[in-house]
Amino acid sequence: MAHSSAGSVEQYNYDIVKKFAIASLIWGIAGMFTGVWLASELAWPFLNFDIAQITFGRLRPVHTSGVIFGFGGNALFATSFYVVQRTCQARLAGSRNAHYFMFYGWNGALIIAGIGYMMGITQAREYAEPEWYVDIMITLVWLVYFWVFVTTITRRNQPHIYVANWFYMAFILATAILHIFNNLAVPVSFTGAKSYSLFAGAQDAMTQWWYGHNAVGFFLTAAFLGMMYYFVPKQAGRPVYSYRLSIVHFWALGFMYMWVGTHHLHWTAIPDWTSSLAAVFSILLLMPSWGGMINGIMTLSGAWDKLRTDPIMMFMITALSFYGMSTFEGPMMALKEVNALSHYTDWTVGHVHSGALGWVALITIGSFYHMIPKLWNTELYSMRLVKLHFFVATLGIILYITAMWSSGIGQGMMLREFDEYGNLANTFISTVTFMHAPLVARAIGGMFFVSGMLLMAFNIYMTIRNAKREPAVGSVAQTVNA
Amino acid sequence: MTEIWMWLTDLGNSKILALLIFFPLFVGMLLYVYTGKQRSERLESYKNIPLDDEPNDIAQKGGK
Amino acid sequence: MKLKHEIFETNIGLLIIFTMIAISIGGLVEITPLFYINDTVEDVRRADGTQAVRPYTPLEQRGRDIYTREGCYNCHSQMIRPFRDEALRYGHYSLAAESQYDHPFQWGSKRTGPDLARVGGKYSDTWHVKHLVRPKSVVPESIMPNYPWLLENDLDYSDIQARMEALKKVGVPYSLTQEEYDSNVKQFGKAVADKLDITRADENLVSEAQDNNRDGIPSRITEMDALVAYLQMLGTLIDFKAHDEHEFIKAR
Repeated sequence: MAHSSAGSVEQYNYDIVKKFAIASLIWGIAGMFTGVWLASELAWPFLNFDIAQITFGRLRPVHTSGVIFGFGGNALFATSFYVVQRTCQARLAGSRNAHYFMFYGWNGALIIAGIGYMMGITQAREYAEPEWYVDIMITLVWLVYFWVFVTTITRRNQPHIYVANWFYMAFILATAILHIFNNLAVPVSFTGAKSYSLFAGAQDAMTQWWYGHNAVGFFLTAAFLGMMYYFVPKQAGRPVYSYRLSIVHFWALGFMYMWVGTHHLHWTAIPDWTSSLAAVFSILLLMPSWGGMINGIMTLSGAWDKLRTDPIMMFMITALSFYGMSTFEGPMMALKEVNALSHYTDWTVGHVHSGALGWVALITIGSFYHMIPKLWNTELYSMRLVKLHFFVATLGIILYITAMWSSGIGQGMMLREFDEYGNLANTFISTVTFMHAPLVARAIGGMFFVSGMLLMAFNIYMTIRNAKREPAVGSVAQTVNA
Repeated sequence: MTEIWMWLTDLGNSKILALLIFFPLFVGMLLYVYTGKQRSERLESYKNIPLDDEPNDIAQKGGK
Repeated sequence: MKLKHEIFETNIGLLIIFTMIAISIGGLVEITPLFYINDTVEDVRRADGTQAVRPYTPLEQRGRDIYTREGCYNCHSQMIRPFRDEALRYGHYSLAAESQYDHPFQWGSKRTGPDLARVGGKYSDTWHVKHLVRPKSVVPESIMPNYPWLLENDLDYSDIQARMEALKKVGVPYSLTQEEYDSNVKQFGKAVADKLDITRADENLVSEAQDNNRDGIPSRITEMDALVAYLQMLGTLIDFKAHDEHEFIKAR
C-alpha cells in the first residue's frame, strides 16, 4: 500500500486476469476440437479407432468439461476479476499465492479430471463427472474465489456495487451450492478413485438435474450476463439501457432458474407435479431472460451504426440475439408435449449449442476482443480478422443448429410413426441411418467454429507479441498514470 | 391455529406457500424500483459506473 | 421501519444472504419433498410378498461399474416413458422403484442408441458379446464404437467387498451382520439375500460368472461377463403381467 501514491504499482492487478484469459482460449480450442472429433465419431464411427481412451462415451465428458469449465470457467475467472476491480475501482484482494492457487488449482483439477475420464474414472453424472478428489480440489479453489471476490468488493472506492458484480456473485454462490450437494458421494477407499453417489434413482435424478440445469442457469447464463452488463456498455461507449430493468432482471432470474431443472425429467419416473411446476416456471423464465436481452441490445439504441462498423459489437449483439432465441426455444421445449418429441434427440443437443456457442462463446469472444488489448495496453492486431472470425463463427453455429433441428425433429417424428396396422413404422436403427447426413453437417458446422477460434488465437497472439515489442505504448500510459 | 400450522408444515403445500411469500416480494420490488422520481434517477445514475473506470479517470480524481 | 433496496446495493453481506435465499427456494420446493413423500418410489412385491426390486449381485454391480466407466449413459437412456411407441419398442414404462438401488442413476438424456431399461433377456448372451466386440457384426448400420477390450480384460474383483460396503453406506441393503442378513431374507427371500451378503461376495461373483459363462470363455472371468450379466438383468425384476395395468399410475 505504501507504493500506491507513487504510481509504481498499477491500479489494477492484470497479471492473474491475463493468465485466466489465455488459459480460457487454450481450453476453448482444445475443448471445441474435442467436440468436433466427437461429432465426427458419430458421423464416421471408424474414428473411434478401437482405442478405449477416445471412444465416444469416454471422450464426451472431456469435451463438456473442457468447454464449460475450461473455456467458460477460465473466462469467468478472468472477466470477473477484471470487472470487479474496475467497477469497484479497487485492486484485487488476496496475495499472489492465493491467485496462483486459484489458477493452478482450477486448471490442474480440470486436467486431472480430463485424463481421468479417458481412463474411465467418472461419476457418470452429466457435467459432474469428476470424481470425489477433484471435487474437493474444485471446492477449495471455489472458496478462495469467493473470498477474493467478496473482499475486493468490500474494498471498493465506489459506494454502489455495480450490477455485473451481483450476477458474478450469484454465479459463485449458486455454483458452490450446486457443486457441493450434487457431488455428495462415498468413496470406495481413500486411496482409490471410485465413489458411489449418496442419492439413488429418482432422488439422484432430481438432484443431478437440479445441478445440471442450474449449471446452465448460473454458470452459463447469470455469470455471462455479468460479463454482458459490463462489456456491452463499455464497447458501446454508452451506459446500459435501463439500470432498473437490470435490478428486476437479476432478482427474477435468480429466483426462477432454480425451479425449472425438472423439465429435464418430463415423463420420467418422478411425481408429475414436479414436472408441471418446472414447466410453468420455464415459461415464466422467458420474461426475465428477454428482459435481460432487451436491456443488452437496447444499450446500443442511438448508435446502431456500430453494428455495421464495429465487429466486436457484432459479436456481442449476435450473442444477445442467440441468447434471446435459445431462451425462447428452451421454454418451448419445456412444454411436456414438445418435450415428448424433443427429449432424447439431437434437438436438445442443438438447443444447448445455440446457447453455448451462440450466447456463451460469442459474448466471451466479444468481451475478450475488448479486454485483451486493454490488459496489454495495446491495440488489436487486426480488426479484419475479428470480422472474419465473426462470419465464420456465425455460419458454423447456424449450420450446427439447423443440422440438429433436422436430425432431432426427424428422429423424433420417425420414432413415433405408426403404419396402417398400428405397428411401429420405423426401427431404431433406421433413424440412425437417417441421421447420418445431419450429423455430417453438424461436424462441419463445428469445424467452422473451431477455425474461428484458431483465427482468434492467432490474432490475440500477434496482439500480445506486438504489445511486448512496442513498449512505447505502455510507457506513455505509464507516464500518464504516474 | 393448529390447522394452519399443519397446512404450513405439509411439504405438499410448499409450492403454494413459496408463491404466497415470493410473489408479493417480487411485486414490492417492482414497485420500489419503478416508483419515486428521485429514486429512479439515483438508480439510473449507477449505470455510468463502468464508464468511469479508466485508470486515468481515477488518477485525475486524485486524493481518493 | 422502511426497508430500502439501497441496503442491498451497498452491503455485500446482505446481497449474499438474499441472493442465497432467492436461489435456494426453487431447489428446496422441488427436491426436498421427494425424500419424504412415501409414494415417490413404488412398493412393488411379488406373489410371495417379497420385494420385486433387489440390489445388484456382486457380478452385476461390477458390470454396472463398467457401464458407467465406458460412459454408456452418453448415448443410451434407461428410462422408458409412458408413450405408445415406447411401449411397443421398449416395454412397460419405467418405475422409480426399478432404479432405487442405482448409485448413480443412469436414466440418461440422449438416445443416440436405443433405451436399455428393459434390454435384459431381449437378446442372447452370444449376441451381446458379438455386439459389444463389434456392433456392426450384428447391426450393420450401427454407429456404436467397438469394445473389444471387454473380452481381453480380466475382471478385477479384488475390491468387490469394499465397493459393496461403500454402497451399503449410501443405503443399499447389502448385509455384513447376521441381523442384516436375516432382514434381507425377510425382504427379498433367501436366494437373493445370499447374494447380498458382503462376506460371501467373492465366491458369489465367481460362481455367478462361471455358472453362466456369458462371455463364452469358461476359463476366465472377463469384464464382458460382468457387463453382460448387468445388461441381461436390466428391467427384468418386475413381472408386469402379474400387476394391474393402472396400479403404478398413482405414483406419478
